[in-house]
Amino acid sequence: MERGEMPRFILRNMWRRKGRTLLTIIGIVVGIFAFTVLSGLSARLNQQLGGAKKFYTNHITVVPTGGNLFGAAGKYLSLSKVAEIEAVPGVRGAVASIGLPLDLQSGAGSGTPEIIVGTELSGGGPELLAFTALQSGRLLQDGDRGKVLLGLNLANKFNAGVSDTVQMRGVDFQVVGIYKATLTAPDSFAFVSYQDGLDLFRAANPYFQVADIAGSIDVLAQPGVDSEQLSVTIQNQVSDIKAISPNDAVKQISQFSLIFNAILIGISLVALLVGGLSIINTMIMSVSERTREIGLKKAIGADTRSVLGEYLLESALIGVLGGLIGMGLGVALIAVLNTAVKTNGANVFTISRSVILTPVIFATFLGTLAGIFPALRAARLKPVEALRED
Amino acid sequence: MSLVEGRDLHKIYSSDSLQVRAVDGLDLQIDEGEFLSIVGPSGSGKTTLLHLLGLLDQPTAGQVIVRGRDTSRLNGSDLTRIRRENIGFIFQEFNLLPVLNALENVELPLRYRAMKTAERQKRAMEALDTVGLSQRAGNRPSQLSGGEQQRVAIARALVAKPALVLADEPTGELDSENTCRIIELMRRLNEELHQTFAIVTHDLFVADYTNRKITLRDGKIVSDEWQEGRPLNCDLPFED
Ligand SMILES: Nc1ncnc2c1ncn2[C@@H]1O[C@H](COP(=O)(O)OP(=O)(O)O)[C@@H](O)[C@H]1O
Ligand SMILES: [Mg+2]
Repeated sequence: MERGEMPRFILRNMWRRKGRTLLTIIGIVVGIFAFTVLSGLSARLNQQLGGAKKFYTNHITVVPTGGNLFGAAGKYLSLSKVAEIEAVPGVRGAVASIGLPLDLQSGAGSGTPEIIVGTELSGGGPELLAFTALQSGRLLQDGDRGKVLLGLNLANKFNAGVSDTVQMRGVDFQVVGIYKATLTAPDSFAFVSYQDGLDLFRAANPYFQVADIAGSIDVLAQPGVDSEQLSVTIQNQVSDIKAISPNDAVKQISQFSLIFNAILIGISLVALLVGGLSIINTMIMSVSERTREIGLKKAIGADTRSVLGEYLLESALIGVLGGLIGMGLGVALIAVLNTAVKTNGANVFTISRSVILTPVIFATFLGTLAGIFPALRAARLKPVEALRED
Repeated sequence: MSLVEGRDLHKIYSSDSLQVRAVDGLDLQIDEGEFLSIVGPSGSGKTTLLHLLGLLDQPTAGQVIVRGRDTSRLNGSDLTRIRRENIGFIFQEFNLLPVLNALENVELPLRYRAMKTAERQKRAMEALDTVGLSQRAGNRPSQLSGGEQQRVAIARALVAKPALVLADEPTGELDSENTCRIIELMRRLNEELHQTFAIVTHDLFVADYTNRKITLRDGKIVSDEWQEGRPLNCDLPFED
């Protein structure tokens, strides 16, 4: 059999029932489209979480009991915990920090939240701030007040360079440095001194008598001390806190991507089921319509394998076409959305090689799989029975 | 040695209540170069017999022997191979593939053999030329008349140069003039290329033009006569 000419005939056969073929392809397109867009979202999330891992895993994070990596809603640590933690053997330094949304009406924006982080600048503070390289300027240092170190997205948003003044929550800050892009959460962070952060927090909560508090305390281990073990020790020796070791942090972060990936897989499975069933249905109809032709082909010398191959190829082709179109539309939507939301610097979706290739491979596989049963049916037809059919 | 031989052939279709003895104890030998017809009333087993001789179907009992080789023990792919190498089919309904043009339809049997595209096309074109349709190579079946479609089907049956051509009511859907031309064509191929033709027909005039007439009734041969095939002249009105 000349393989090269087969697809041409198969395309003509598909064209014979354009309406039905088109509907089947659209079924695949819809599923693959959703799959592509979600993959783009997932790729972006994973990228972000990858960066977040770097940010959170060079130290132990201590939060109020019941909290997670990102703090505990409405609960704070007393600043006295810093001294308690520093008293634990093996601790090199403990750095209090407090975070609050950049805008008063928080959480409304799309994408990554923009956050002001007030960090204690004595002790290990500047070291923790050095989690990634600077694009320009310098890190914050002990004694800085009214100064801010900006993530790249915020620098772009404020259109500010080093030594420019930016206004955050009505207060002027002078920019001392700007981070390079990390493509992750810290791109939307504005780091200030702990005291400045606390002042902003107090201004935002005027009816609420605030003592010296911290949202979380980041703990650095002494050289040669195992952070995992130190985390357990801190948990045991200091009351009313939760110590999150670097490994726990990775686990917590991974959980987010696991949940998202589970949703993605769930939606893909539904797409698989619907798309696959519609291909099976179409192929069964094709086979029964062409029963006579199959009989004829067998009578003039087609063996089981070539009939099988022909129908499998037809089914795979439906998958490929549906996959390509669905992926194309998905990528197009991603591109449009990315441009539309680009205003605050970050893409909402990532178009990676796997975002492009996976849906197409998936759809091809799906098409082939769905074709197996109808193709086997075609291949097993007895020539006489097929020829007597009308 | 006969080209194809049926020995004590039986084909019984059984359903819950009744048994149909479509072919019922039949012996038959066809030699190379024959031009024969199989006649009989509808339901007498002609098509069933043709399918058995063409290895499309397997007998309930008895043997089909092709060039001295008993085929009753062979598996599906061996049967396909023997069929491919020895037998061509022509059907009443032409059975051309609607999505292929005339040339592609004629090429089809060669596609199931390992053959270079150029060689395949050359042979298909020659076969189309033999049936006088090389001008219509690029036309789809829907663009051809019934007679032309059957000539394409004949070209398809010839292209692989099978020793035996089995035709099931090849003129059943044609008018008298086209019937004449098809018979004339088959007889010419028989004489010039020494291809063997077994033609099932219920048209007794068609049978008159063959050299041997086998009559079936209820799955049995009731007569097997040798005759001088009537001369043909399709330029004169054809009797029907
Ligand atoms: N697949 C089948 N199942 C049951 N009966 C069949 C089948 N095929 C043919 N027959 C019966 O076998 C007999 C012979 O049929 P057939 O060979 O088609 O006769 P003819 O071609 O001479 O008209 C008929 O009675 C027909 O109904
Ligand atoms: Mg019949």
